[in-house]
Amino acid sequence: MTPSPLPERAIYGFVLFLGSQFGFFLYCLWAFIPEEWLHSVGLTYWPQKYWALAVPIYLLVVLMLVVLMLFGVNMNNTAPLDSVDSITDVYARSQTSESCHKGQIPRLKDVSISEVNKMFYFSPK
Amino acid sequence: MGDDAFTDINGKSISLDCQSHSSLCREFIVSSPKVSIGKVMVYTCCVWLVAYAVFFFTENTTVLSSAILITLVGMMLHIHFVKVDHESLLVIGSLGIQLSSSYASGRETTTFIERSKIKDIVINEAIYMHQIIYYLCVLLKEPSEPNAVSSVVPLFQSSKPRLNCLEKVYRSCQEVLSKC
Repeated sequence: MTPSPLPERAIYGFVLFLGSQFGFFLYCLWAFIPEEWLHSVGLTYWPQKYWALAVPIYLLVVLMLVVLMLFGVNMNNTAPLDSVDSITDVYARSQTSESCHKGQIPRLKDVSISEVNKMFYFSPK
Repeated sequence: MGDDAFTDINGKSISLDCQSHSSLCREFIVSSPKVSIGKVMVYTCCVWLVAYAVFFFTENTTVLSSAILITLVGMMLHIHFVKVDHESLLVIGSLGIQLSSSYASGRETTTFIERSKIKDIVINEAIYMHQIIYYLCVLLKEPSEPNAVSSVVPLFQSSKPRLNCLEKVYRSCQEVLSKC
């Protein structure tokens, strides 16, 4: 499945666009037409007009809270400075050290943090 | 071996003091700046102005007395539990290392880690809040499993020096630890 534009996707997009514009038009109709007119036509069992204002406001407040909560959940899930997960993990511990034969490219593996430190901080400046 | 001025991760200046007591024993002391009297006065004045404004509108004298009490108790708790004056790392080859933090009120907390439990002292990078910082940490191992890291003890947590300060401490520590 490629993300490139296809004719079917253009048609789906246009149908969704028309549908959402029409849905918004119907919502505005319901919100603005007074109750008596709707009752006189015969549409009696619709939600209260209070919800025409309440639902958009609820959605906006939820959107703002989701932004804050996403940031908070991410910070909560970050490993603290004293966790072993920032040094090593199950896969690095269980790797076997193989002897490399001459001329062969050595196998890809995790370098332990002590070696990395020696390479970085003991090199002559 | 003397006093050097470095900065911590937020840009505040700290100082590092390396002392070499013998060829096998070295001590590193990282000192944070002391509580500045100007900041204390500004903070107290703001709190008392707010309390006086609240008293002006509510005419309730308990607001004033409670503001005074809260300020005093808060400052005492801060200098006793929160404000660290200096942190020190004492490395004694073949014996172990001693970490100690001394607070502004004079209280000192000390931890000793024996040499058989220490796997290595390394500089690690990790995500801290919104940034990635370098910090020095001690890797501990269980005697039953000498190749696995059992836990990590971060050093200089309250002063959080930057990499140039950590490199100095790291090189010095590795010299002592590799001798035994």
